[in-house]
Amino acid sequence: MGRTWWGSEKPPVYNFPRMKPTVLLWVILLIACGTLSAQWLKIPTPGIPRTPDGKPDLSAPAPKTAEGKPDVSGLWQPAPGYVENVAKDLKPEDVPMRPWAQMLYQHRRDTLSKEDPTGWCNPGGVPRSDAVPYPFKIVPAAGGGEMMILYEAVHSYRQVFMDGRALPKDPNPNWLGYSVGRYEDGALVVESSGFVENSWLDNGGHPGTESLHVTERFKRKDFGHMDIEVTIDDPKTYTKPWTVTIPLKLMPDTELLEYICTENNKDLEHLVGK
Amino acid sequence: MLFRKRQSAAAILLFSSLSLHAQWMRYPSAGTPRLANGKPDLTAATPKLDGHPDLSGIWKIARPNTIPEGTASYASLQYWTKEGIDIQMQPWAKALFEKRYGSFGVGRPSEHCLPHSIPDAMLVSNFKIKQDAGLTLFLYEEFMRFRQIFTDGRPFPKDPAPAWFGYSTGKWEGDSFVVETMGYNDLSWLDDAGHPHSEAMVTTERFQRRDFGHMEMELTVNDPKAYLKPWSVTMQFVLMPDTELIEDLCDNERDGTHMVGK
Repeated sequence: MGRTWWGSEKPPVYNFPRMKPTVLLWVILLIACGTLSAQWLKIPTPGIPRTPDGKPDLSAPAPKTAEGKPDVSGLWQPAPGYVENVAKDLKPEDVPMRPWAQMLYQHRRDTLSKEDPTGWCNPGGVPRSDAVPYPFKIVPAAGGGEMMILYEAVHSYRQVFMDGRALPKDPNPNWLGYSVGRYEDGALVVESSGFVENSWLDNGGHPGTESLHVTERFKRKDFGHMDIEVTIDDPKTYTKPWTVTIPLKLMPDTELLEYICTENNKDLEHLVGK
Repeated sequence: MLFRKRQSAAAILLFSSLSLHAQWMRYPSAGTPRLANGKPDLTAATPKLDGHPDLSGIWKIARPNTIPEGTASYASLQYWTKEGIDIQMQPWAKALFEKRYGSFGVGRPSEHCLPHSIPDAMLVSNFKIKQDAGLTLFLYEEFMRFRQIFTDGRPFPKDPAPAWFGYSTGKWEGDSFVVETMGYNDLSWLDDAGHPHSEAMVTTERFQRRDFGHMEMELTVNDPKAYLKPWSVTMQFVLMPDTELIEDLCDNERDGTHMVGK
């Protein structure tokens, strides 16, 4: 493997972590290895501070934008584990589900996530797309317009509007919702709503509904490390909001790969849920 | 006449109409020059960014004046060739094109939710251009695909993995933004009519924003494996002010079973 998966020897699996046959896993491994030698994977990323030996200095201070705001741009990779269970650091009582949601979540666990919409190549959504072990690129809001997040996973994008507009009222439900951002206390704060009715917040299937409101606080700790503090507020699903922190590492000197899920969607035939 | 049975187009139209009342569809675009009555002034001067024209905005293909109003689909490059110019194909490419064209384009990648590539994505989908330092982004509404064009002076990758959107670098030549792309896979169609290409294809796009609301792009296709000589087409785009891209995912993959080509 050319990509370092957060110090883990285990290769990433986007869907269905409990999948029994490892066929898909090996297919992913093979494909990943096949493409690593090519492309722009070794090109030095411009603007990265370096140690005297030329290596990226990931503990250099966090950069600022020209306006003096926190600069969260770059290619980022989340720590493992959160995509399987975004609430992995919390106790079950910290994620209090309403009875219907508890039943649905249990059903998704019992059926090994067989109904996961990403099996049909849908995007993961928010915060799942932040937690998937494939990198994403944050492109800053040049001129104060919109910040773009380019997700390698299933090759999708998300726009975060930074021009002060309010979230839309009664919008069409979107898989990635609608996002507006602002700076607050040294963090970039992104608020999102307008999600589809059947959101999966993680591979395990924590549910989300159209009442889901996600707040992401992007806190860049130094040049190479960032936390996203995610608050899930979905009163139809959970009796109170809950917050998790997803740590990320900068991926220097590499690029996004083209990942077209519909090109080779073998997930469906390999799902083994009950 | 080309695609009388294009249910997918009808479906997309239907979904688009349903969604128009919601979202940020009426939100005024910042920095848009306006007429006295508040409407966007699409003939105002080309905006600038860092000393170059700024291509940023949401764009949509304009109907070429070579075809009559009301034609269902003009997503074929033949409409943009200069009069008297013939696209000369290698025998295999000609046979493949005629098979696709003669069967109403059945089997095109988008049936299976696969990407439109270059230039097809710009023919069938609204798209947003965003210029940043070292990187220009194209966000395509259809299927929510993105394309990165690197402007930081990097060379092309050597022997890259073939990709739907290839590998693109861009530079300014006067007021033209010149994008060169290589490393394509051979799966994409250049247009709905089915012009094929090989992995050897290199494309050059020259974008010129003529004024605030109008942009022109000359595309040159250089693919000696598929075409006897390089050929060019020129297409026009109009700005879509005061609106936003809609989330358009191809998630049910039902088109394929409904196509009725011969």
